[in-house]
Amino acid sequence: MLHRTARTALVIALPLVALGCMTGHLAGSVSAEMPAPIAASPEPLGQIVGMRRLTEAQYRNAIADIFGPDIIVAGRFEPIVRPAHQLIATGAAAASISPAGLEQFDAIGRGIAAQVFDPAHRATFVPCTSKSAAQPDDDCVRATLLPIGRYLFRRPLTNGEQAAYVRMASEATTRSGDFYAGLQLALGAMLVSPDFLYVIESAEPDPARPGEMRLDAYSRAARLSFFLWNTTPNDALLRAAAEGRLADPAQLAAVAQHMVKSPRLEAGVRAFFADMLMFEKFDDLAKDPIVYPRFNQDVAKALPEQLLRMIVDQLVTRDGDYRDLFTTRRTFMTRALGPIYNVPVVSRTGWEPHDFAATDDRAGLLSQAGFLSLYAHSGRSSPTLRGRAIRERLLCEPVPDPPGNVNFAVVQDTTNAVLRTARARLSAHASDPTCAACHRITDPIGLPLERFDGIGAFRAKENGVDIDVAGKLEDANFTGADGLGKALAGNPATTECVANRALEYATGKATDDQADLLAALDKGFAADRYRLPALMLRIASLPGLYEIHRAPAPASPVASSPATGAITGANR
Amino acid sequence: MALKLGLLAGALAIAGGSAPTGSGAEAAVALPAPPANGEMGFILTAFAPAVYQGKDDCPDGLANTVRENYLQSLVPTERARLLLPASEPELTRRWKDYAVGPNNTNICANPELFDRPIQKTIQGKIAPGLNLDGKVSGAGAGACAHNNFVSPTGERGIDNQAYRALGCSRNYRGVDGTAGDAVRGYNNFLATGEHSMVLLLRGVDSLVNDDHVEIVFATTSDRPVLDSKRNFITGASFAVSDNPRWRNVLHGRIVNGVLTTDPADVRLTRRVGHGGIRGENLEWQFRQGRFRLAFQPDGSIKGLFGGYQPVRSVIEMTIVGGIGAATVAGIDCAAELKTLQKMADGLRDPKTGQCTGISAAMDVAAVPAFVMDRPITAMARN
Repeated sequence: MLHRTARTALVIALPLVALGCMTGHLAGSVSAEMPAPIAASPEPLGQIVGMRRLTEAQYRNAIADIFGPDIIVAGRFEPIVRPAHQLIATGAAAASISPAGLEQFDAIGRGIAAQVFDPAHRATFVPCTSKSAAQPDDDCVRATLLPIGRYLFRRPLTNGEQAAYVRMASEATTRSGDFYAGLQLALGAMLVSPDFLYVIESAEPDPARPGEMRLDAYSRAARLSFFLWNTTPNDALLRAAAEGRLADPAQLAAVAQHMVKSPRLEAGVRAFFADMLMFEKFDDLAKDPIVYPRFNQDVAKALPEQLLRMIVDQLVTRDGDYRDLFTTRRTFMTRALGPIYNVPVVSRTGWEPHDFAATDDRAGLLSQAGFLSLYAHSGRSSPTLRGRAIRERLLCEPVPDPPGNVNFAVVQDTTNAVLRTARARLSAHASDPTCAACHRITDPIGLPLERFDGIGAFRAKENGVDIDVAGKLEDANFTGADGLGKALAGNPATTECVANRALEYATGKATDDQADLLAALDKGFAADRYRLPALMLRIASLPGLYEIHRAPAPASPVASSPATGAITGANR
Repeated sequence: MALKLGLLAGALAIAGGSAPTGSGAEAAVALPAPPANGEMGFILTAFAPAVYQGKDDCPDGLANTVRENYLQSLVPTERARLLLPASEPELTRRWKDYAVGPNNTNICANPELFDRPIQKTIQGKIAPGLNLDGKVSGAGAGACAHNNFVSPTGERGIDNQAYRALGCSRNYRGVDGTAGDAVRGYNNFLATGEHSMVLLLRGVDSLVNDDHVEIVFATTSDRPVLDSKRNFITGASFAVSDNPRWRNVLHGRIVNGVLTTDPADVRLTRRVGHGGIRGENLEWQFRQGRFRLAFQPDGSIKGLFGGYQPVRSVIEMTIVGGIGAATVAGIDCAAELKTLQKMADGLRDPKTGQCTGISAAMDVAAVPAFVMDRPITAMARN
């Protein structure tokens, strides 16, 4: 009975909400788009200046933080499309939800709501005893839903929202004769609301810049939380917003510093690099089992985690220099990965640290099997894909797609009796002038990784021929993965790129028009000896990060303002 | 942590190689230097009865099934009646009853309680195995009278009475000329982790000739990783069993690329099922066990392990199968046990003069792996 009631309400609501999401009609009061029984809110929420759809990880983290890790989030998430050469975080700012995608969110939300108010969990979330198990109790509903709604919507519910959700719960209870079924329906509705599925950024007048706008306090809290921790704001952050502390640059910087020092920064760093290194490609990673019998699902599952553990160890745990990420010998192993690297793994379960010998060609992020297998074909390595990934993901230098009529026959012929190595095959392929231009910028930094096959396992020869791992990055000549890592570490574009990506990640906007700001950020990054947490703190503390500009942003909104001391390290 | 790592043989991808009987000159050319620390680890991919199917081995046919033995026990007229198609349901019921005894006993769970005839045995002259008693003919000290086989490569004095006793059974003799279910089954237990075994070679100075090598032959609780063709993946890590009972230390030497070990008693787990109500903890038991293994060009090793098994333990896996082994697989465990007892040629009981063990040979194959020995502190404690 209740199930039918809930479905009826949602069936009505979903298409309308979906339509709002897709057409961007959610400006102004979000709840204005909500159909009855969620009536329009009497008070405005501020001018909406941005919407970013929650990523799957952010959704899961938010539910785990709000309701606990034992609440299962079961369902398939519609992916967010990555704009070319940008981040998913930027794609999230333009992401819609299809009707089918919203159906999935609906099913996931109802599953969560059913668990939250089941007999095993309801005592945790319902702070009162309803007057009757079968009758509505508006006070108890309000006492239950208001705290939850504050976390889900990342701000207090408006009066209109409160009334609508309480009424929804009461009516469902009346129909079903079950108080908790009413709560479930209301919570399920909250979980498909755009106020939850999207981080809606709203603005208020900026007293420091008359006539201009700035992000309001709760939007700042959300931006800080998702940027640094990849999750929804916690109670302390929401309180800081409510108390106005986030409007003051110094206090905001103090809050950001506290967050950067928290162990939860690891989640933020993981999410950032997963986005920057295109980890969504791991979802589709497949290798030919005939060519690579050592590759299996356990390996595939371990690869991204190994990369993230290496990154977190170098950049967070040891607060190390970002450039050393490309030369470090320290990584982490599991039993599943042991055969790929041909190293012993003592621990039967879990991860253990592993240091490659100083004489080993494996050094740094680029020689990890995760990077090497992600940027390779299913049955062979690819110096071009690897070189392109380094250019695009780590140096922020876009490489054009190949023309549609390219003949790849020579490159793909790995059993060619004459052209026995990838270097020889690529050399023949790139003799075509239309191909040569791009291969010149990708191959010299991909070929040094050729001693690692399509799954990242070491090989000294290809088709019986010694593999030549000479390489070149700009003017630097080197050999092997070790040499490539050092060349990358010594290239200024490497640090500029990560600073660029971090700013894009924080704002959800491309940084094409932020050259001066990026230059200043990189300068500050250097002053911090290229420590990533310090970079994230710098970005989080930038007053400009929270300013809203009517017109296209000035070239250097922060550097040109004396109030933007964050760049010069005043907040450190 | 004082863990000993059995390091992979490294790139043993060399040309050529050496069979156990290969010439010393070939081996000397083909085999590379061992790892610098002299340690090499392996995970076993095969450990199952060595089978050689000679065309004259079973001239009277295969060993009888329970059904066939039941029919054999009848007078000819009754046998003929039951073999009529119309009698099939009755025959099935009766031969299955023949596998069951009083008090919930059955022919496989309690083979010693059933009196069955000796089954057909290997009549051929050739069988794989090792010369366990040092005699080319006759029996050595502590052994009982038996005939020796000649190996497929012509070596005389081969002791493999277990094969003589069971070699004509369907379990050993696959219809396609290859080994039967016994071999597939035992090797599958290595893949599932139930019987998984490791070798850790220490003190290897040369893969061609080395006068002393220590070999840890042990159970591992770690499940091997298989590829999509069910081949074992090389370079995986395995820990020697925590149970010191299943860690055996042997000593041997390498001559012309072939590792042989001195006789030693060996025990290894022979778990069936991964615990729970189906779990049975049995043991491989070999007395005077020894290896003869040849290093292969691809880094693997192959050869034989021979020794004397307590007679009943030879068919222990079938015994665990209980009534199903008799009525589904058709195995007459009582006949097998009686035959094994008759063929027993080792571990003579000085009091009774009866041999309690039977010579056996196992095919062995292993691929490179990282083998973590038990910590020295743990070994000292035990």
